[in-house]
Amino acid sequence: MDSYFDLLSVLILLSSFILVSHKRIKSYIKTFRIQSALIALTAGIMGFHSLASEGSLDILLVCAIIILLKVIYIPRLLHKTYGNVEYKVEKDFFLNIPLLIIICCALVVFTYFSVSGISSLSADHINLQVVNSFSVILIGFFFMISRKKALGQMIGFLVIENGIFVTAMFSTHGMPFIVDIGIFIDMITAILIMGIMVVQINEKFESININKLRNLKG
Amino acid sequence: MNWFAPDYLLYGSMITYLAAAIAAIIFYKHPHLCTQSAQAGCILASVLGAASAVRLLLSGQEKIILKPFESTIPYVSVSMTMDALSAFFLLILSVLTLCVSIYSIGYTAHYHGKRNVSLFHFLYSTFILSMLLVFTADNAVFFFMAWEIMAVLSYFLVVFESEQEENRQAGLLYIVMTHLGTAFLMIAFMLMFYYTETFDLSASSQHIPETGRNLMFLFFLIGFSTKAGVIPLHIWLPYAHPAAPGNISALMSGIMIKTAVYGLLRFVFLYLGVETPWWGAVILVIGMSSAVFGVLYAFIEQNIKKLLAYSSIENMGIIFIGLGIAFLAFARENHWVGALALTASLLHCFNHSLFKGGLFLGVGSIHYATHTKNMEKLGGLIKRMPVTAVFFLGSALSISALVPFNGFIGEWLTYQSIFASISSGNAALNIAYIVSVAVLALSGALAAACFIKLFGISFLGLPRSDHAAYAKEVPLAMNLGSGILAFLCLLFGLLPLIPLNLLSRVIASITGNGVVGQLQGGFLAAWYPLKISGNNNAVSPLLIFVSILLLAALALAMLRILGGSRRERKYGTWDCGFGSLTPRMQYSGTAFSKPMKIVFKIFFQSSRDLKLQGDHPYHPESMEYTITTESVFEKYIYIPLLVWVTAWSKRVKLMIQTGSVHTYLLYIFVAVLVLMLYNRIG
Repeated sequence: MDSYFDLLSVLILLSSFILVSHKRIKSYIKTFRIQSALIALTAGIMGFHSLASEGSLDILLVCAIIILLKVIYIPRLLHKTYGNVEYKVEKDFFLNIPLLIIICCALVVFTYFSVSGISSLSADHINLQVVNSFSVILIGFFFMISRKKALGQMIGFLVIENGIFVTAMFSTHGMPFIVDIGIFIDMITAILIMGIMVVQINEKFESININKLRNLKG
Repeated sequence: MNWFAPDYLLYGSMITYLAAAIAAIIFYKHPHLCTQSAQAGCILASVLGAASAVRLLLSGQEKIILKPFESTIPYVSVSMTMDALSAFFLLILSVLTLCVSIYSIGYTAHYHGKRNVSLFHFLYSTFILSMLLVFTADNAVFFFMAWEIMAVLSYFLVVFESEQEENRQAGLLYIVMTHLGTAFLMIAFMLMFYYTETFDLSASSQHIPETGRNLMFLFFLIGFSTKAGVIPLHIWLPYAHPAAPGNISALMSGIMIKTAVYGLLRFVFLYLGVETPWWGAVILVIGMSSAVFGVLYAFIEQNIKKLLAYSSIENMGIIFIGLGIAFLAFARENHWVGALALTASLLHCFNHSLFKGGLFLGVGSIHYATHTKNMEKLGGLIKRMPVTAVFFLGSALSISALVPFNGFIGEWLTYQSIFASISSGNAALNIAYIVSVAVLALSGALAAACFIKLFGISFLGLPRSDHAAYAKEVPLAMNLGSGILAFLCLLFGLLPLIPLNLLSRVIASITGNGVVGQLQGGFLAAWYPLKISGNNNAVSPLLIFVSILLLAALALAMLRILGGSRRERKYGTWDCGFGSLTPRMQYSGTAFSKPMKIVFKIFFQSSRDLKLQGDHPYHPESMEYTITTESVFEKYIYIPLLVWVTAWSKRVKLMIQTGSVHTYLLYIFVAVLVLMLYNRIG
């Protein structure tokens, strides 16, 4: 059981590395879809386990919602937004890809260093699943900082959210259903608003490079 | 069950203040009913509060503890303790509130139909309640909350007439300065918690090391001094007091700034304990500078409310001199002198609240009747508002420390405590004491001159404007309010042992020995000289008063006998056949203060400018004479500071707020990383 989770957490971490290494927005969306699918798989395994041991359907339901939202609906929404705004190719990142990867590695090491100090998480050994999923949060955040275009920020936000969700799942083995639902509703609202904002930014500046927002400063 | 026990009376007082506030809201559509119900509530509440305080002081009970309800928030407990010190300040608050509330029934009538009277009365009653809580709070957090509520409510009262730009600016300055002080208090409370791990004031402060004590003292001093308005933290006071409505100025000057004295006694004197002599020396120096500068600025002021505000700074200075002497004496283990100085200081607090309350009410009456605060537009009011004039004169005599009034007693005791502090050895301290006597004498004389100017220019002579010429006597309630205060000034001046006996219990409870026993003269037997044992200084206000009356009668009799039956003739002043005399030819307030402006040129930075128009200097067509004075503290301390802070903030703002979303994200990211690092190694 734990070995599955170890494997899945590593795969999720790997998917966020892949995300950072991509150069095109279409590939970001694809990677995000893969990551979400991996998370859905994790939730599914956990859900069957809890159905077998406690007879509760909660986590399976959450798994279904993840598949609906994060694997199907949001990537399609992102594609649509992308289709509305993207018509020229320009360099999307401040630092080059190898440097970004190295920084992300450093982030994982730093997370290991920080999280290993939490004694309640690691009774006898370091809880690697939490380290991996926590790193996903930081990498998602770092992704937001490193990308210039607004769609990059949207995806970074979604990856942070994924990271938080997996961290919660790995450290508690199933959050209360109502909390999960709340988080999903928050996320869907945020993504809808961001989608609209991206279109607006594109109309105003003829680009979705958010560095141009500097001009708004009074 | 004794319903007249101090704790029930105190509960009653608090509930009545709340009821007054609620009544103010309920009757918001009926201004008259609203004023009457709210102020009647405040009057009742203040009577209950005074009764509670006096009963506690007379009963000899050490303290009463009120705990209306338990709080589940950590470190916050709504608990109040009334010991003798709290009771004394509660007494000051209640007496002043009683008179100001009676006055307000008449005074707020001019707001009816023009302003939201309901809001005013709500703020008024809750403001008084917040001061009551400040005086009774017994843990630092609750004290802090009451202190902040007091600051915010008084801010709203200062800007109540907010359509005038200057009032809004005064309010802004006030709220900024008062929060500056609050910030320092907060640091001091945090230090308190850091060292003792409790906010309880009755806990021991033994474990606080020397540095911690000194730091806490400095923070408390700055925090409370800002509220007290002593120089150099006074700049809000001369703006806020004139901006507030008359009755609010009386409350602010009469009691709100005294919360600082209470705070210093409660937190420094009682909690920290006085062991280091330099604490007293610092307070003494602050007191001396406030006394002199306060009265100097008061003297040149033409705005009658501003003049009183500066005079409040002077009186806080005198109170701080007393406190400083007391702190020094206790640090040097001289308990008797310390107790005497503390008595003088607290008595002056009480006296100041009576006469300054009376003066602000009087000035409020002048403003009510004439709609101007400019002294140069007044004049001749004694004919038009005789009752106001008499009460105003009583308070003015009292603040000038003249004999049959109470101001004299407080200052006399302050002098005596300084004289008693001078002892052989330690020449530096002795010089400081002698200088402070000189400072006290100088400020006393200047204060008297200042109130001669205020009374003389405003009430005597001919009206300088139509406002003053058509002034009418104010309503009975207003005169009653200021009348009671003036009467109390005279009563406590003639029979000083009434307040001194109450005060003696306060001093006994906080220092261990009272002094009134050693001030000879029994209760009410004030004809017996008020004498300080140990030296031969004694005074009997009643005897002096009687002898003044006798001398006056004698002088009149002599005049009759020597002058024979000369007839009195009323006639216009001879004008040399030149033309009619106009009110503009009278001595003006500016002219009165001119000599002092020349003598103390360095503090006023005064400059004058005479502009002549016309061909010949001896036959000008028109002359224009302008005098400007500047406040040294604002010019050399506050304005440069303000300029620097503004420039620095602008620069830093440009550095931090780059406008780039990525930078903002980076801030959050770095903050998260730092927190994670702190989680590991912190």
